[in-house]
Amino acid sequence: MENDTAAHVPTIFYIFAGIALCCFLYNLKRLFTARIGRPEVRSLRPWEVIRNTLYFGVLHLKVSSRQFGYATIMHLCLAWGFITLLFATTVDFLAARGLFLNILPGKDTPWFAALNEIGGLLLILGTVLALIRRHSSIKPEPLPQDALAGRDNLFGDTGVLIFLLLLAVGGFLAESARLAIEQPATAGASFIAYPLTLVLPSDLWQSLQPGLWWSHAILALALIALLPRTKLFHILTGIVNVALTNTSERGTLRPMNIFALMEDPDVDLEGLVLGAGKVEDFTWKQLLDVEACTECARCSSVCPAYATGKPLSPMKIIQAIRHNLYAPAMDDPASMVLVGELISPENLWSCTTCRACMQECPVLVDHITAIVDMRRFLILSEGKPPEDAAAYLEKTAQQGNPWGFPRENRLKWAEDIGLEVPLMADKQEADVLYWVGCAGAYDPRNQAIARAMVAIFQAAEVDYAILGKEENCTGDPVRRMGDEYLFETIAGQNIEKLSKYSYNRIVTTCPHCYQTLGQDYRQLGPAWNVVHHSEYIQELIRQGRLKMDGEVTGRVTYHDACYLGRHNGIYQSPREVIAQTLSWKGELVEMARSHAQSFCCGAGGGNMWYEINQGERINFNRFDQAVEVGADTIVTACAFCMIMLDDARKVRDKEESVQAKDIAELVVENLAPAIPGLGKREEPARVYGE
Amino acid sequence: MKISVIVRQVPHQESVLKISKDETWIDEENLVFITNESDSYALEEGLLLKESQGGEVVVCTLGPERAGQVLKDALAKGADRAIFLRDDSFDRLDSQGMARAFAAALKDEQFDLILLGLQTDDIGNAQLGPILAEELDLPHATLVVGTEMLGRRVKVKQEQEGGWFQHIEMDLPALLTIQSGINKPRYASLRGIMAMKKKEIRDLTAADLGLNTSDLTPDQVLVRLYVPPKIKDTAFLEGAPDEIVAQLVEKLTNEAKVL
Repeated sequence: MENDTAAHVPTIFYIFAGIALCCFLYNLKRLFTARIGRPEVRSLRPWEVIRNTLYFGVLHLKVSSRQFGYATIMHLCLAWGFITLLFATTVDFLAARGLFLNILPGKDTPWFAALNEIGGLLLILGTVLALIRRHSSIKPEPLPQDALAGRDNLFGDTGVLIFLLLLAVGGFLAESARLAIEQPATAGASFIAYPLTLVLPSDLWQSLQPGLWWSHAILALALIALLPRTKLFHILTGIVNVALTNTSERGTLRPMNIFALMEDPDVDLEGLVLGAGKVEDFTWKQLLDVEACTECARCSSVCPAYATGKPLSPMKIIQAIRHNLYAPAMDDPASMVLVGELISPENLWSCTTCRACMQECPVLVDHITAIVDMRRFLILSEGKPPEDAAAYLEKTAQQGNPWGFPRENRLKWAEDIGLEVPLMADKQEADVLYWVGCAGAYDPRNQAIARAMVAIFQAAEVDYAILGKEENCTGDPVRRMGDEYLFETIAGQNIEKLSKYSYNRIVTTCPHCYQTLGQDYRQLGPAWNVVHHSEYIQELIRQGRLKMDGEVTGRVTYHDACYLGRHNGIYQSPREVIAQTLSWKGELVEMARSHAQSFCCGAGGGNMWYEINQGERINFNRFDQAVEVGADTIVTACAFCMIMLDDARKVRDKEESVQAKDIAELVVENLAPAIPGLGKREEPARVYGE
Repeated sequence: MKISVIVRQVPHQESVLKISKDETWIDEENLVFITNESDSYALEEGLLLKESQGGEVVVCTLGPERAGQVLKDALAKGADRAIFLRDDSFDRLDSQGMARAFAAALKDEQFDLILLGLQTDDIGNAQLGPILAEELDLPHATLVVGTEMLGRRVKVKQEQEGGWFQHIEMDLPALLTIQSGINKPRYASLRGIMAMKKKEIRDLTAADLGLNTSDLTPDQVLVRLYVPPKIKDTAFLEGAPDEIVAQLVEKLTNEAKVL
């Protein structure tokens, strides 16, 4: 141990270090710009904060992604190189002050010297990989165009990489100079810096040493001072953001309690904030999300709207909010109107709320709630739904279904074929309340699925009943479109009806109904046991109440619905049910994008009810993905996915070669013994227009 | 500019209609009622004119208790106040009687423009506009698909037969009946719905309007309402061409008896 190390560091360095620290603290004000956001109560348990920090922050487990292999390795090099050097520099600093010398390693402790070298090497490797990725043909398209001046970050993306590269290379040179002069016995442990010393004569190292040391020191201090103004700020904001994220509540739309608001006689209409139209209308946590964004573009890379040429890029939405957040704090008066100028309505309406962006985000940004909050602003505050959608919203309010078919006809799917379906109004109680949903009741293709469910209930001798004409749209499309007022209205009507009867659980065939009844309604009070039919059928099969005689041959692929998979974590139940229907000649093949990486059908988030006339249609793209793996049957477990993929099948002229089936239909066709008249269904005619 | 828009409540277009027992009207139970479609366009036109010219939009309807909803919807979309003509004696008025009631309600307010939908989706006789214009002694235009303000005059584009249009100008005050499709009716914002609760809805009865029984006795009476009997029957003949010809000859000989 060298006890005289302190003498090597001139006092003026400490003065500079003090200045750098002050600058760092001053620049940290950027972090606190999130304070302009609205209050939001976080219910966080300490162990969750610790777990999130370690899991997502330190261990990078969300940065690591098979879809982004190169970027994963690149970032692990950068981050671990940075962390190693931060540790090493801290130890050096303490040693230089003569602190903890008995427990800390010295500069020339062989393993510590080697660790230093590894850190530097990782950092150089990471920066080089990153520079190649940004400036060669492998640059992912959604990654933003870089400028050295940066957008809201000093030096931009490339500038900061060059900064890090200079720092790492300068570190090696300074160390080489020291080794050349001091010639410690263990110099060989510095497996890069030591060989470097041999390149130049030692008297030259001697004369270069002060310059190399000071340039490295100044660069390092400048980095500390400016860090919060650069892209590297995400090291802090990312960790703070993941630590404060309640992972189980991600993607949950916040209740607005509009009915309470409307009954308040003292409400100030002028000052009332409905949804988010300006940056300060978001909550502080949403703004912290925005600060944490690293512009890695993973969200946009996996976004189905982006992939098909729609105006949406989730990353640009987050960037736009951040621009408005930082502009005043960074003394930039050029802040613009957020919704309408920086973010166009078409941008917001393109989102299918499929959650692919949130699935990939390494720092747990909650894109969906931000987008829906801005949609709420457009509808509730401005009265501007997408052009075609206003009619559907009104129809939902008037007839209880978005198609606007008469409520009187809600049972036609059963009556038309003389199917006797028990009504809750008659039975008052049942084991299962089967929630048919608007698609099951009115859409010809989905009516077949509702009939298949009845066959399953009958085959398994389930005590079930439906609400019939008492059933309403659950409000999923209107809620995701941002019409929280209409959502509360129709949810209230449904809750009233559902509360009249006695049953053990609700079974739905549509993941959107499943999400609303099971999750969204909880915010309004009652909590029911809601089961998706994929889980329910799986249970019936496991209990031996449904006997299967798998006859399906050929290649079957399963399309994960967003609100079943990513939003509710159900991936295996439908696959297990499908497996039961396969014969030895049948096989379940997976599309390139499946499970949590699934690609939306294009109908979620209210997109079923309006058209973004730009780019390719999402359902065609998804259908092509199924054709790519040679599937002759696409199995769905969602009313909207069925409509979208069935349409794509027809438009792509594959009606003969590719079938689209719901798991319930597949099960009914393979029941043992078969049910006469309810198996092998005929293709229904589509009655409503395209 | 002071604009009055007449809005009326009708059953939803998709309703499953049943004839009432006395066969003079439909069974209103379980029906969903909404704002008459072309009236929504008239309202939007009024709101657009108010936005460009300034002034006020007063919505007016006539009907039973439930019809108040169309006034609330219009107020939520941005109308400033409402007049509700509500009286038991207004039940089953003909167009003339309705025009007298609306004329009595609107005549003292000095409106620059009175707008209403071309016709209602229930009876669809398209008479109220022209009769009301006569009652108020105003120039009028029907089937309007475009408006342009020229100071104290209005230029309108009228839809004609066979894809032709006619452009005419008239002095204000005037009455226009609006064709669906002239604009894109807006969606009521929650802000609008909340503001609606503080707006005025004035109820006026026959007595308030100074109307007596003879004013309201209909000249037209709906005698009987029935579903048209099916008189045409279309049959598809199937099979090979030879079989079809044989079937056709058989039908023409024995059923139609024309051969």
